Amino acid sequence: MSYLETISIEDTANVAKIEPKGRSRFITLSINGERHEITVKPRKMLIEVIRDTVGLTGTKGSCSSGTCGACTVLLSGRPVLSCITLAVECDGKEIRTVEDLAENGKLSALQEAFLDQGAVQCGFCTPGMLMSATALLERHSKPSLAQIKKGLEGNLCRCTGYNAIVDAVLQVSGQGVTPVMK
Amino acid sequence: MSELKFVGKSFKRKDGPDKVTGRALYSEDVKLPGILIGRVLRSPHPHARIVSIDTSRAKALPGVKAVITVEDTKGIKHGFVETPRYPADQEVLARGKVVHVGEELAAVAAVDSFTAQQALELINVEYEILPGVFDPEKAMDPEAPKIHPSHPKIADKEPFSNIGGKTECGWGDVEKGFAESDYVREDRYESQLRTHGYLEPHVTLAHWESDKLNIWTSSMGTFVKRAKLAKTLDLPYSSVRIHKTYVGGTFGGKIDLYSHEYCAARLSILTGRPVRIVASREEIFSAYRHSQPLIVEVKTGVKNDGTIVAQQLRVINNAGAYRGSGVVVVFLAWGFTMAPYRCPNLKYEGYSVYTNYTVRAPQRGHGCPKVRFAIESQLDMIAEALGIDPITIRLRNARQPSEDLPNGDNVHNGNLPECIRVAAEKSDLLKKYGEARKSPQTGHIRRGIGIGVSAYFGGSLIYPNSSGVMVKMNDDGSAIVLTGAIDVGQGAETVICQIVAEELAIGMEDVKIISSDTDTTPQDIGAWVSGMTYITGNAARQAAGNARAKLIQVASEQMNAPVEDLWVEDKAVFNRQNPQQRMTYDQVFAASVATHRGDTIIGEGFWRTMRDVPTHPSLATTKGRWTENYAFSAQVAEVEVDIETGEAKLVKALTVHDCGFPVNPALVKGQVDGQVSMAMGHAFMEEVITRNGYTLNPNWLDYRMPTIHNMAASEDADVITEEYRVGEPYRTKEVGEGLVSGILAAMANAVYDATGVRLYTTPFSPERILSGLKKLEPSKTTGVRDQQSPEVL
Repeated sequence: MSYLETISIEDTANVAKIEPKGRSRFITLSINGERHEITVKPRKMLIEVIRDTVGLTGTKGSCSSGTCGACTVLLSGRPVLSCITLAVECDGKEIRTVEDLAENGKLSALQEAFLDQGAVQCGFCTPGMLMSATALLERHSKPSLAQIKKGLEGNLCRCTGYNAIVDAVLQVSGQGVTPVMK
Repeated sequence: MSELKFVGKSFKRKDGPDKVTGRALYSEDVKLPGILIGRVLRSPHPHARIVSIDTSRAKALPGVKAVITVEDTKGIKHGFVETPRYPADQEVLARGKVVHVGEELAAVAAVDSFTAQQALELINVEYEILPGVFDPEKAMDPEAPKIHPSHPKIADKEPFSNIGGKTECGWGDVEKGFAESDYVREDRYESQLRTHGYLEPHVTLAHWESDKLNIWTSSMGTFVKRAKLAKTLDLPYSSVRIHKTYVGGTFGGKIDLYSHEYCAARLSILTGRPVRIVASREEIFSAYRHSQPLIVEVKTGVKNDGTIVAQQLRVINNAGAYRGSGVVVVFLAWGFTMAPYRCPNLKYEGYSVYTNYTVRAPQRGHGCPKVRFAIESQLDMIAEALGIDPITIRLRNARQPSEDLPNGDNVHNGNLPECIRVAAEKSDLLKKYGEARKSPQTGHIRRGIGIGVSAYFGGSLIYPNSSGVMVKMNDDGSAIVLTGAIDVGQGAETVICQIVAEELAIGMEDVKIISSDTDTTPQDIGAWVSGMTYITGNAARQAAGNARAKLIQVASEQMNAPVEDLWVEDKAVFNRQNPQQRMTYDQVFAASVATHRGDTIIGEGFWRTMRDVPTHPSLATTKGRWTENYAFSAQVAEVEVDIETGEAKLVKALTVHDCGFPVNPALVKGQVDGQVSMAMGHAFMEEVITRNGYTLNPNWLDYRMPTIHNMAASEDADVITEEYRVGEPYRTKEVGEGLVSGILAAMANAVYDATGVRLYTTPFSPERILSGLKKLEPSKTTGVRDQQSPEVL
């Protein structure tokens, strides 16, 4: 367990000077099983806390408006868009990010399947895609094509055309798809 | 030679583990102490004179560390093209007037983003609004508002306004050709504005350290970025270092120098602190560079058997407010016209026209999809008029292997006819084609099939024209590759490692790569002229071969065996006459250090296309060689159209392509799938909607990019025309952007096949399809239709 107490540069620079409104709040988050006690402005989005305050940069920001899914993390087991989720809403809750998928440096079966199928190209949608897929597979151990599409519909990928991503989910759920890459 | 162990095999990505664990560092992930946040002030007007800019209030705001306008720059211009005919034309910040919405006027660096934003709002700019012009044909009118003077070489001869550049060429005699033709038709095709849709936004972090500018930026060519930053900042190249970062997609949209990159650098120099600028998605949609909408007018004359006799094209490019790559697109449009089919008489003219839109960038295919959409659509119409099927007319005109092209290039082993034959056979096109229009159909879904053909160049000469690679042997016999290649998702790093592993006979795990860092790696062409596997790959092959030769030389001395008898396998040099006699690489390395005055065995290699051709072709006249790598493809689309809603979707795509040979077949398939998806967006979904230069849908809710629900079945087949032999140069051809074109044309032809509706403008939106269906049945009134289909009420 690591304990972190942070006030970012952003917060200190503005104290009482520019924004008298919006007092900082003290929240506690469990991120990937580690407890973080953090002081944040109410306007702060979860993605900023994860990336800037805690320093886990695996979660990606792309649209800042909840339209692309790159920032998807699991909040109490459910996929949420961290770019439009206020950090203060997550007080006391459990958050999982892409950094939590590998165990002791060993890739999870889902991560391996993404590599086996060529489901990763530029890699920018990958963390969010993996988190949505993780949530999907926790709901349905053998998801149908329709369930896969439903589960990943909020995640844009510009590189792959989605075919390899679907195959990766089919592979990891043991539905007859074998690796195409060695 | 022994069988290949690495080349031609689908190895997993080298960068894969970092990308699935979140360890891969993209530009926004790089953190430095004391970082400042930069933001850019952008023009709210499409065309206006700048009367004054007052930054004093912004500078006085606590937390603001620096504010710059064009007065704080050296005034050195840059451009996508910088040639004597087309010199650099754009300042890094606007001077005197703004010519498009979102043009950069000033930039600030502050302690946080809120202060930076507040500072922008305190900058007072006084404008005098000028009339704008947005339609390229209106902009050409002599009376139109002048954005910039027409290019002097055009202005002398033609009365048009706002001409940024023109490409003009031809051969034979088109008028005679049309006169000799049995059938002539003339059509006009138009395309929409599209964004690249890279997931990673533009991000730049700049950090000035006494005499070195360190840059981390989302890019597709680090050496181009270095050249343009060094130039505009007036610094020597050695003072600018572009660091490697992972890149979250580019598709053409990250090669030009962007103002924010200059601003981050300048602000860091002024403040002595790291400065980061991130473009918001709204900024990217509204102010950054997109595709180039083309008007393509094409007139084609053919013989009764479908043989093309003459073709005349007039292309007008709505090229935005600076020259950008607009003049390149009108040059390329000629190349995309002439490469696939023989045409004895051709007249081509392409105009790049200034309008008050954002500057344009390359976008995957760089004009090719629009040109092929036009030509392939028209070819199907010609075939139908002549009673020929779509395959026969294409085979009749397709260039054969070894054919010379009118510009002096040669297609070498390129085999388009075979691509067309395989595509026809695998898709069963001739059996399916026309079915939907023949028999009476029930229900409201119509299925159609269509084909499109394309050709694409690779690795052409443009700065830095060449790639160098170094292979550094380690004491244990493993190797480090130093390459300027940048992996933007296409898999360059993996492919280069495969080639090095093959040449050195070591494992993939024995090859580690240092890439795309301008200080530590050799120059590289970058990921933007579709030639990295060919050019950087051949340089890597040569570098590894050079290291291998050194290993063999040392081993020859140690083993007392002639060099000709020695070869390599499994990380060792062995004697072919006596395979038991061998030295492992670590032994050879130690011997080299001991007996060759400390030589640590570093191999070097370099490659450029057309090594005996000093320059690139003329953008104005097309004279001069272009490339020695023509890739050909034939693509088939099967679509479904809902004739009640007008909605169309791609159901199945087949891509048959000649890329020479695939170094990594699964990576090639990844490129195919991605291009099919992107072309589907082009065909059915995507459009940056603008009014008077303002973007009306600057987000992914209102700009629809393909989601997983739009996924289409995608199959590919290689037509293998080249091969890899260890120790010898090879020829691969492009596979990363040419395949958005044939499939777009195929979708247009398939929509026609499904419905009888011929569309001349992309995207094929429900409105356009419904309106086309309506025109087909002029006698049917709405009332009759309602009676027939009460369910639609």
